[in-house]
Amino acid sequence: MTPTGLEPARMNRKKGDKGFESPRPYKLTHQVVCINNINFQRKSVVGFVELTIFPTVANLNRIKLNSKQCRIYRVRINDLEAAFIYNDPTLEVCHNESKQRNLNYFSNAYAAAVSAVDPDAGNGELCIKVPSELWKHVDELKVLKIHINFSLDQPKGGLHFVVPSVEGSMAERGAHVFSCGYQNSTRFWFPCVDSYSELCTWKLEFTVDAAMVAVSNGDLVETVYTHDMRKKTFHYMLTIPTAASNISLAIGPFEILVDPYMHEVTHFCLPQLLPLLKHTTSYLHEVFEFYEEILTCRYPYSCFKTVFIDEAYVEVAAYASMSIFSTNLLHSAMIIDETPLTRRCLAQSLAQQFFGCFISRMSWSDEWVLKGISGYIYGLWMKKTFGVNEYRHWIKEELDKIVAYELKTGGVLLHPIFGGGKEKDNPASHLHFSIKHPHTLSWEYYTMFQCKAHLVMRLIENRISMEFMLQVFNKLLSLASTASSQKFQSHMWSQMLVSTSGFLKSISNVSGKDIQPLIKQWVDQSGVVKFYGSFAFNRKRNVLELEIKQDYTSPGTQKYVGPLKVTVQELDGSFNHTLQIEENSLKHDIPCHSKSRRNKKKKIPLMNGEEVDMDLSAMDADSPLLWIRIDPDMSVLRKVEFEQADFMWQYQLRYERDVVAQHESILALEKFPTPASRLALTDILEQEQCFYRVRMVACFCLAKIANSMVSTWTGPPAMKSLFTRMFCCKTCPNIVKTNNFMSFQSYFLQKTMPVAMALLRDVHNLCPKEVLTFILDLIKYNDNRKNKFSDNYYRAEMIDALANSVTPAVSVNNEVRTLDNLNPDVRLILEEITRFLNMEKLLPSYRHTITVSCLRAIRVLQKNGHVPSDPTLFKSYAEYGHFVDIRIAALEAVVDYTKVDRSYEELQWLLSMIQNDPVPYVRHKILNMLTKNPPFTKNMESPLCNEALVDQLWKLMNSGTSHDWRLRCGAVDLYFTLFGLSRPSCLPLPELGLVLNLKEKKAVLNPTIIPEAMAGSQEPAINPSIHAQLLGFQNPFSSSQDEEEIDMDTVHDSQAFISHHLNMLERPSTPGLSKFRPASSRSALIAQHSPGCDGTPATKSPWGIEFARKGAGKEQAPLEMSLHPAAAPLLAFPKESASAKHGEHHHHHHHEHKKKKKKHKHKHKHKHKHDSKDKDKEPFTFPSPASGRSARSPSLSD
Amino acid sequence: MADTMATAGAGSSGTRSGGKQSTNPADNYHLARRRTLQVVVSSLLTEAGFESAEKASVETLTEMLQSYISEIGRSAKSYCEHTARTQPTLSDIVVTLVEMGFNVDTLPAYAKRSQRMVITAPPVTNQPVTPKALTAGQNRPHPPHIPSHFPEFPDPHTYIKTPTYREPVSDYQVLREKAASQRRDVERALTRFMAKTGETQSLFTDDVSTFPLIAARPFTIPYLTALLPSELEMQQMEETDSSEQDEQTDTENLPLHITDDSGAEKENTSALQQNASLSGSRNGEENVIDNPYLRPVKKPKIRRKKPHCGA
Repeated sequence: MTPTGLEPARMNRKKGDKGFESPRPYKLTHQVVCINNINFQRKSVVGFVELTIFPTVANLNRIKLNSKQCRIYRVRINDLEAAFIYNDPTLEVCHNESKQRNLNYFSNAYAAAVSAVDPDAGNGELCIKVPSELWKHVDELKVLKIHINFSLDQPKGGLHFVVPSVEGSMAERGAHVFSCGYQNSTRFWFPCVDSYSELCTWKLEFTVDAAMVAVSNGDLVETVYTHDMRKKTFHYMLTIPTAASNISLAIGPFEILVDPYMHEVTHFCLPQLLPLLKHTTSYLHEVFEFYEEILTCRYPYSCFKTVFIDEAYVEVAAYASMSIFSTNLLHSAMIIDETPLTRRCLAQSLAQQFFGCFISRMSWSDEWVLKGISGYIYGLWMKKTFGVNEYRHWIKEELDKIVAYELKTGGVLLHPIFGGGKEKDNPASHLHFSIKHPHTLSWEYYTMFQCKAHLVMRLIENRISMEFMLQVFNKLLSLASTASSQKFQSHMWSQMLVSTSGFLKSISNVSGKDIQPLIKQWVDQSGVVKFYGSFAFNRKRNVLELEIKQDYTSPGTQKYVGPLKVTVQELDGSFNHTLQIEENSLKHDIPCHSKSRRNKKKKIPLMNGEEVDMDLSAMDADSPLLWIRIDPDMSVLRKVEFEQADFMWQYQLRYERDVVAQHESILALEKFPTPASRLALTDILEQEQCFYRVRMVACFCLAKIANSMVSTWTGPPAMKSLFTRMFCCKTCPNIVKTNNFMSFQSYFLQKTMPVAMALLRDVHNLCPKEVLTFILDLIKYNDNRKNKFSDNYYRAEMIDALANSVTPAVSVNNEVRTLDNLNPDVRLILEEITRFLNMEKLLPSYRHTITVSCLRAIRVLQKNGHVPSDPTLFKSYAEYGHFVDIRIAALEAVVDYTKVDRSYEELQWLLSMIQNDPVPYVRHKILNMLTKNPPFTKNMESPLCNEALVDQLWKLMNSGTSHDWRLRCGAVDLYFTLFGLSRPSCLPLPELGLVLNLKEKKAVLNPTIIPEAMAGSQEPAINPSIHAQLLGFQNPFSSSQDEEEIDMDTVHDSQAFISHHLNMLERPSTPGLSKFRPASSRSALIAQHSPGCDGTPATKSPWGIEFARKGAGKEQAPLEMSLHPAAAPLLAFPKESASAKHGEHHHHHHHEHKKKKKKHKHKHKHKHKHDSKDKDKEPFTFPSPASGRSARSPSLSD
Repeated sequence: MADTMATAGAGSSGTRSGGKQSTNPADNYHLARRRTLQVVVSSLLTEAGFESAEKASVETLTEMLQSYISEIGRSAKSYCEHTARTQPTLSDIVVTLVEMGFNVDTLPAYAKRSQRMVITAPPVTNQPVTPKALTAGQNRPHPPHIPSHFPEFPDPHTYIKTPTYREPVSDYQVLREKAASQRRDVERALTRFMAKTGETQSLFTDDVSTFPLIAARPFTIPYLTALLPSELEMQQMEETDSSEQDEQTDTENLPLHITDDSGAEKENTSALQQNASLSGSRNGEENVIDNPYLRPVKKPKIRRKKPHCGA
């Protein structure tokens, strides 16, 4: 059970590890996680972990592990009590900082705090001192077993409990719990090395109620009843070395479904959903087959589990041999729209099983390789499953997304390299957050990062061919699986980690091609390319003069140099030309093949070899050019703005077979509202062979064109006759046929066309009455009785169409909106919405799509002044207990209301929901929506922008969201949107003499701050080993004294306590010590001190002004001095081991504190006395570890 | 006695059909019946040796006979209804007779008495002259178990159901229109009712009744209503599902033994469900699927070595 390695450490050193150098002075080989008790009522977890490690340096005296939220009772190393301290600077990022409120400062401090506990830098929140008895043992590099007892009470992150408040036992209520989080978040639920690069084997044990099932990683070895037969223990073994970050857990009264095609695959869902589960997962085996085939590699784990849970953190989360999905992905066979989405989620998670779970990464800067490969093979699956059109459309969509994001924010860097520590080298200076750690990233950035990663993989494929690409993947996988089977040679396990350099080396080995320029362009550098193209045809020379300009000065752009493919469709055929882009603006002469004299009645050959008849009357008689495309294969991450005549776009739309080209031409045609464009679009709409998504886009374009042509438009409203012809009865054209959605293509078109039609406007800028009647008739005659599929999405879109038809109300000087002055058209719309919304209560639709659309429509009516603007309805739908889609739609409306009506009350309501809502996803989403649709922005005057709000948000990101990385980054995003990087302008002038810690090079100072303030600014260090926790001056006027008193209960005192102990823990400096220990590790240790002792400002200000000290206790004065980095001697560590009695005593206190938080202060004093009485030797006393997060060290009592 | 009854019936019907003089058919019927009963009474008297009888006494006897027969009928009907039947059976009659103090055993002997008189069937009168205009369709002939002297079936239009099609509505447009408005009315009525009887929300402050919205009520387990198809849809789905499955098995199992395979699969799935609900208790039969989650839960060992107590 415990693989005692053959001293892997030593071998590791001898062999000189291949590329991977562990940041830790030890190697973890095996970890046991045992959760003995899970209490759903109290939402608590009790258990222990046991880590088997091999020291790799002789003088290992401290072991740093990651742990958050956990209350640690006891640590033993090889059965000896070990002292430990707990210090988490991310709990509160900036301390004693009441007036700063400057995001730049915060971001630096946050990045520093994260790196102070970053396992990839060898750091951790939990620092365990190796008992002196074991030093000799350690010096021989012998195995250590670290046994940690811990508990978790009401976790706010990491583990999520869902406990519906109904009658019955927990199992009957459908209560469940699952692990969740953003990137490496396992430390939130058990102590571990929370790094993707520290692999080990696992033994996982979970004792749960007999009616529950515990699903976790690896193989379920056995299930054993407890002695009272009321509980059972699930024993899991994971023999494939896996990072702690890929460990997961889901416990609940799950229904079990063994995959009928693959018996080693098991699916789990919540009670009553089994039929949906059966249908939803019935497809999974095909995805398995696909991946195994293209990768020519078996699925690496011996089993696979899918668990569908409620209140999911993300829709899809992949962990070693299991994936956790949102239960909302489940669907029945009647649902059309959700099916491809769910299948995509399944495929995505499976791709990540290979790359992400089985193969892990060396460091955060290698993340792009994993995300890139998994995204890329997922793309291949898309191509195979949904066809090339869908695939190309998806690529185009992703490309547009990343281009738009990069141009907006200034770039996404896939492979950040942090060298030198020079501020100037900061690769992401344009961003308001650090990209050095995954945990400081904005969620949106991370999403875009993944998107860019797979697009870049595709570029590499373009360069080296898919065959080689797959060979590279196969090589990575086979190396990893060889390594994984080396049970006792843990040094080999680093083969299971992928790195950028290893990946590139593999590519060059396999393909023999040099892709360095490509990597340099897209991976080592951020930004996309912006092309502007135009052309002229030179008749005399029969040459196409193409001009391609680049914009590489705007933020988010970069200069492109290299080949660029241009496709020219001429009368005689389609021709590819590869241009070399060298200078900024360059004219390229492309000789034309065709003579402009056209042969009548000759078919025109297309790129795909097809020959078609075209009506050439529209084109320029002198030119043989039909259309031109720049970079048709999307082999550059670019945005192309190309100018060509309207008829060329029309030809391109009609005859080019590539869906991307069609899509582009549709967008271009928006600028050409002519009858010819109208005809081209209508033809496309009618063409059955045309890709349905193109036809859907054409609908909206046609609506726009019709609106531009409104004065000259003839005939019925756009698309009406078309719709009638396609979907209405032959005999009675105003009645739609009874629904038959067997053909998905026409289903999607049928859904979309009315939505687009509702955007039509007449000369008065109103939606034509005819269109409204038409939509109302569609709703009226909708008949789904004979349909095999549900029409809930269709009906929802009809409501969307109604909402689209709404135009602003003509308001006579702000009259109050009442029923009497309701516009008759609006009355009809409202009638429908009311009926739909009420019917939903009786016959709810799948995922409540109809309610969602109704809520949106009501908001549109409110916004346009037809209905009184009122958030009450939305607030009731936003309550916990509604289906999440409904809640989000309602919250979106409230966010919009907050913005439009500038309502302070609603903003407060939203903020309190961000802090208190039970569902992490909803909290994240509110922040996200507030950021997207902010109530005000930094340059805007708003009554909402006041000091209290600044304080509130600051508190939220500073300490209120420490349990959820994603949420905290969301809060940072919102703060940035509202106030920008510098000090919010609504704040009063800072006190004179305040020193701000700002990046020097940035003009981030609030202009109101006098320039002298800059004098003392420090340069925050980039090097992770130097802590950049820079403290501002204490504001002497701040009410810190009072704050301190309150904060004592939570963070400060414990940290003061910790910081004190950190010194105590330090092993006496031995002569050999400095030699062996890398310099960085010591400074890292020091670095870690400063955030910890932030209860008292520990960093001595370099400019030598005495700072005001806070009231954390007078007795700490000497401590502060000793902590100063410049004078941080390694203090003597009391060698006496803990007396068991004292241990007990402390333990007792600990519990008392937990129980009687209210009486905390009293306890605190009591403890204080007690301690000082007990130990006269103790040089200083300190506050007790009051909070659950605080540490307890047995050694302290001596 | 039985004979008498039979003849009485025959007589009545005969008189009825022949009753031209009477205007009221009910009166007519009564008169005819009475006349037949009188004949019966007279013949019984003759049989008993009377040569003549006063009119009044004959009338009295007739009255008695009639009440007696009526009572038998009424009583028999009660018995039959008591046992939840509609048609009296012989035993009902027998019980009735016994109840009325009649010795049933004597009946056969009485029926076969030598001196009994047979009353001739009432004279069959001419077919009623029914006006031609009223005939609608052919009168049905008697089924074999009804004696031919029984009255004929009445005109078909009096008992045959004649569906009356008003212009059959085949117009698609009207149908759709109707279906749509019907559904709309039902929905509106239903939602209004729900709104009236429960809490509501309104979009307008001045008027809460024109567009009443049923108040949003949070669910304890929101995903169930959101994901599970309604019963209505479920039915529909099952129908389509089964047809789909048939198609699938047809195409997929073409080279295989269709019955065997699908049977096995069904067993598996049912076994699965059982296992799931019983949390892993093994089905007796051989389980093809070996999945750790389906294995039985082990009993705790008496002295189970605790794994990982630390080394």
